Amino acid sequence: MSKTINFTIDGQPVQAQKGESILTVARKNGIYIPTMCYISKTSPCASCRMCVVEAQGVDGFVLSCNTPPTEGIEITTNTPALEQERVNIMKLYDVNHPLECGVCDKSGECDLQNKTLEFGVAQQNFTARDQSREIQDWGLINYDPSLCILCEKCVHVCNEVIGDDAIEVKFGGYSSTIIPKDAQTLDCTFCGECIAVCPVGALVSSDFKYSANAWELSRVPATCVHCSAGCPLEYETRHSGINGEDSLYRVKNNFEFASLCGAGRFGFDFENNAKKDEMVFNQAIKALENANAIRFSSMITNEEAHILQLLKTKLGIKLFNEDARKYQEFIKAYSSVSGKLHHSGSLESIKQADAVIVMGTRIASDNPAVRYALTTASKHNGAKIVYAHPMEDALMQNTVTQLMKYEVGTEEGVIALLANEILKDADLPENIRSYFDDLDLGYLDAESNIGDEELSFMSRSFARAENKVLIVGSDLFAHERSDNIAKFCAMIEKYSEYSLVIVPTEINTLGVSLICDLDADEPVANVVGYNAQGDFTIASFEDTDMAVPALNQQEGTFVNIDNKVLPTNVALSFDGYTLNDLAAHFGIESENTIDYTKQLSKEAGFKSIAFDSLENFLSEFGDDTRGYVLDEVECSAADELDELEDLPEFNGTVIYHCNPVLQFNAYTNKSRQLEKDTTLRGSAQFAAAARISDGDRVEITFGSRTITREFKLDSDLKGTIALNPTFDDVFDASRYRFEKSKIVRVVHE
Amino acid sequence: MNNEQFNNRNVSEDGYFQVEIKDYPTTGWDKFKRVVQRTFRIELFVGLWVVLREMIVFNKHTISYPEEKMPIGPRYRAVHEMKRLWESDAERCIGCGLCEKICISNCIRIDTKIDENSRKEVSEYTINLGRCIFCGYCAEVCPELAITHGGEYENASDQREHFLLYEDMLTPIDKMKAGAQLEFEGFGAITPHEDERVKKTPLAY
Repeated sequence: MSKTINFTIDGQPVQAQKGESILTVARKNGIYIPTMCYISKTSPCASCRMCVVEAQGVDGFVLSCNTPPTEGIEITTNTPALEQERVNIMKLYDVNHPLECGVCDKSGECDLQNKTLEFGVAQQNFTARDQSREIQDWGLINYDPSLCILCEKCVHVCNEVIGDDAIEVKFGGYSSTIIPKDAQTLDCTFCGECIAVCPVGALVSSDFKYSANAWELSRVPATCVHCSAGCPLEYETRHSGINGEDSLYRVKNNFEFASLCGAGRFGFDFENNAKKDEMVFNQAIKALENANAIRFSSMITNEEAHILQLLKTKLGIKLFNEDARKYQEFIKAYSSVSGKLHHSGSLESIKQADAVIVMGTRIASDNPAVRYALTTASKHNGAKIVYAHPMEDALMQNTVTQLMKYEVGTEEGVIALLANEILKDADLPENIRSYFDDLDLGYLDAESNIGDEELSFMSRSFARAENKVLIVGSDLFAHERSDNIAKFCAMIEKYSEYSLVIVPTEINTLGVSLICDLDADEPVANVVGYNAQGDFTIASFEDTDMAVPALNQQEGTFVNIDNKVLPTNVALSFDGYTLNDLAAHFGIESENTIDYTKQLSKEAGFKSIAFDSLENFLSEFGDDTRGYVLDEVECSAADELDELEDLPEFNGTVIYHCNPVLQFNAYTNKSRQLEKDTTLRGSAQFAAAARISDGDRVEITFGSRTITREFKLDSDLKGTIALNPTFDDVFDASRYRFEKSKIVRVVHE
Repeated sequence: MNNEQFNNRNVSEDGYFQVEIKDYPTTGWDKFKRVVQRTFRIELFVGLWVVLREMIVFNKHTISYPEEKMPIGPRYRAVHEMKRLWESDAERCIGCGLCEKICISNCIRIDTKIDENSRKEVSEYTINLGRCIFCGYCAEVCPELAITHGGEYENASDQREHFLLYEDMLTPIDKMKAGAQLEFEGFGAITPHEDERVKKTPLAY
């Protein structure tokens, strides 16, 4: 059966795929239909009624945004009657709209402004008694109801894409407004997506408000650096002050297709300032000459990683990066079964999925883009989502259809059970089939706390699903049995229709793991830290021995969760030295850091494309044309799984290294607008177990470290696991994210 | 101010006249003759007499700057001024930044912020007169007739960079209260009978 529908728009023969609306098809064919409320990434709001068209044989007008075409129908988009209808809609939109375009933040990029001019509405023909409408201050977001045109885009993205479901329309005819849902004030994750989609100046960023105008800002296309999603964004800069030095004013994105979390949108001001200081430079050279190792973080570009790798060979030193090394090992084990280097899934495949298993990550704070993709899948495809984790997440409760709560530390057992369930009818090699047949399911069930009925419920709810995705996260990388877990993941991907997404921890964990030859971290003398701790630190954060540009002051590439090589550009200039200058001293010379883009390892899947040839935009139909996807790399594979070990037990007070939403790293910690909640957050049950109460200062001891934090009671949490933020602290990525800890109340003298 | 002198463009009243200029001498003999003629004619004393006469009768044709100054036209583009609203004495500038954007010599810098009354406030506004070429684009683009050119042309300075601040440009409040603010009549100014063209919002409820 053919799925395409042939019909005509304005006499032009066009084709629609099943599920496409008339408007989508028209746009694809370059036929213009004006809209005010339509946004491609959500279901149609159908509130503006401006997209009306005429269909032959149908009385009255048809809304093109939510009407699918039928075979052979003739659509007309432009008649005098339609024009009159649209002009009248514009006239109504303009009734009592405040004439404050001169100061309004949206002026110059305002849909209402554009459409008013387009339809030539030069005067107000209708009247309505204006009402007093107070401006609402919702923290990072400001809402001005008198500017609001009730297009409902904000409500749709909040509900369908983000999943916060924090705002709704309060219906009341002319006095309708947007209000926080079931709350006095806005209580959400502050992704700011509502600001982005607002076609007028009703929803604006409080920080940006009245500080600049659209026509003064220059846009720099870049990639967000806060998590491994690498979302597309645009830094907007403008000169300020008498000297006219550039500064960052805000971040915007192509909201029609892409989304950003609050960290990307509000956490942009992490730039570093330094002047060239030869003395410091010589100190850095000396430190590198004497160094035994360089310890670095994954918050660097591929090119920097490449320079570090060249330095390693040149100077004969070691490279420490536990985060990337653990990821590398995980991938290595994965490849040993799957026979390829890169996982098969992507954010797009999650959006298209109708059955998803998320395991080993608190995804809403680890990688908001995955959460948004899950929300999209859930709302648009009715996807069934299984969330397997030792802790519930209140942010996921609207999206998740089945919570699979397992015991801390039993990930190996859980993935074995999942694999056994998923692969029960699969055509497995003999040795693997017998491996699964020999599993002691009763023991695994009992120890991991995943019941047989939970697994069969999952299978039943996934029964009719066509696009299945398994998402695994960073809990598993540093797990003692991570190798075997990776092999199970590979088994599932290889022998079932599931695609696999392995969520890297940092923006370029994946890139670093492909480029650098890493050594296991050990406490040696003379370690140079590059964006990490060391005896001599070279970093883009505060308090370092030598300053280097932050990631919004550099050009280069990252590899994100989709295995895509994404370019980023310089938003602000940096006057000091860079890693490339240091490397030049050791004979690793190239004029610019980005000259290395072409030289990135072909064995890891990089292509020989120069940085300047990489595109960085979304096409008008939302296709991601940024950078390129890594080539698939074949590895030798063997179908082998290790014997399961006894599942460990984590009793007592356990902490989980997990940042609050919108906090990720030292950059977000430096950002002016983002909330910096450095408290240990736990449930009442945890407080009782640790004998502490809300507001206490506590000393937390885990591994060989002791830190002091304030304890905060969080009513959204349950169980005896508390969340310990890492964005303001050194996070040891070589350790499993759950830690048995000793918690002592600090008594004030 | 009386604009008559500027509006009278009729040059034919006094009429133009042709100045007779002899051809330049080309030969050596002609050149010698011209020198002799110029040296021994009394025209020199005619000139000296004119000067002497004017000195005696005190009929001066120059003005003694800086005590005296020439009147300048209302459309003359000298140092900028920031106007206030007649009805409220409030500043007209809304901080839209169009003047900064259009400035071709890049000499205007404006910073705005939200003030305690949730209004847009100009927090910093400078014009570098050392760079300004007085083209008048800023006044032309201003949607509020806020920035205009004034008649103050004396901006000599001992340094190349000479910054004009917002406070310096703004009409002083006492001058405003006295109703002494002068409107710029140059390009972009309100034309006569503007009121008659205003379309009113219907209020039929």
